[in-house]
Amino acid sequence: MTVGGSVSETRECGGDAAAYVLGALDPGEAEQFRRHLDSCAICRDEVASLRPVVDVLAIAVPQEHVPSGLRRRVMRDVRAEARATPHARLNRRNSRSVGRLALRPVLAVGMLATAALAVLGLQLADRGSSSERVVQASVAARAASAQLRLSGAHAELIVNHLPPPPVGRIYELWTQRPHQQPVPTRTLFSVSSSGAADVGVPGSVRGVGVIMVTSEPAGGSPRPTGAPVVVARLT
Amino acid sequence: MLRSRHLALRSLADEELMELVAGRDAHAFGVIFDRHGAVAYSLAYRMCGRRAMAEDVVQDAFLSMWRGGARYDRARGSVRSWVLGVVRNRTIDSFRQREIKQGRDVGDDTAAERIPAGERTDVEAARREEASAVRSALDGLVRDQRLVIELAYFGGFTHSQIAEMLELPAGTVKGRMRLGLAKLRLALGDPAEVVR
Repeated sequence: MTVGGSVSETRECGGDAAAYVLGALDPGEAEQFRRHLDSCAICRDEVASLRPVVDVLAIAVPQEHVPSGLRRRVMRDVRAEARATPHARLNRRNSRSVGRLALRPVLAVGMLATAALAVLGLQLADRGSSSERVVQASVAARAASAQLRLSGAHAELIVNHLPPPPVGRIYELWTQRPHQQPVPTRTLFSVSSSGAADVGVPGSVRGVGVIMVTSEPAGGSPRPTGAPVVVARLT
Repeated sequence: MLRSRHLALRSLADEELMELVAGRDAHAFGVIFDRHGAVAYSLAYRMCGRRAMAEDVVQDAFLSMWRGGARYDRARGSVRSWVLGVVRNRTIDSFRQREIKQGRDVGDDTAAERIPAGERTDVEAARREEASAVRSALDGLVRDQRLVIELAYFGGFTHSQIAEMLELPAGTVKGRMRLGLAKLRLALGDPAEVVR
């Protein structure tokens, strides 16, 4: 194995291993190297020793929050696919599997019953709570749509096909109570390439009459600087 | 009911969850997303420099993992490594599809979206320490070695593209990659433990 000071910069057996684990070989070279690995223990050792190093490079990046709505979009797609496939038998098997896998002392009590009822619970959850209310919002952009989902005192704005804000600007979310000026929520967002975004409205919306979105300079604004692009009226 | 089951799922190891994912358990997959979604998005954002594009990449990547969950092989590494590998490959595919090779600088940072210190859990704190160790090891490399590694890993460039960019022989680029990774390995001890 070649580590530390004994590594040279000349081409030798093992010389392609680093580029290979970094995914930096051209496709033809990578295929050739894979075949070479079948017969070369030195290169296999080199790859095995370097791959874990490459695996940790990803965690060195500055950590970000998962954007609001991304999990919901991922799981919406996942559940849609799960429903579209013949999975009833698999889910029943899984319900048993959860019980088997999770039979750890602290959680053992009640797990089997929980697992057996989980599929039914999921179906009920997917139908949504009866206290949820959906308000269609007005949108300035043609072909765009937006709706506000209200659940108790909480609200979530969902937009689709909304053009991205102009360069150097960002969408800002506001709440407005009757006879008062709009108040910034500190929620700034952009949209995906398909114009989608799911944005939670911070805090309670009790007493709020209007929730709106404006395009503002990057970093946001303490007061709206232009006409709203989305307006949802709660009353 | 659902909460109890969710708590039970959260007690499982990643590898156990993946067994359920292979059987099309969406809740188990949700827990996988909760554990690795942030680091996956962080990687995509580091590579793309655009939040909307990073979101699209992560959404596509997780959907492909859901579809191919049965292909996860624990013998080949941790779930985290697998997730990050899929996200990285998706990002590079996205570069190629969109022919975006410029403007990947992280330019639309908003401090509000960085993880606030007050919200760090113990696990996140441990991972931050690990991330810090990896960053320190990267910073400890000779600049030329760090550059070729970052261009390859985060930029998705091949060694021949890097050689052209830096006007270097291809062998020199590969040699710097090899020296750089070997030094990182020494600096990190056992990196396989870091990524768990």
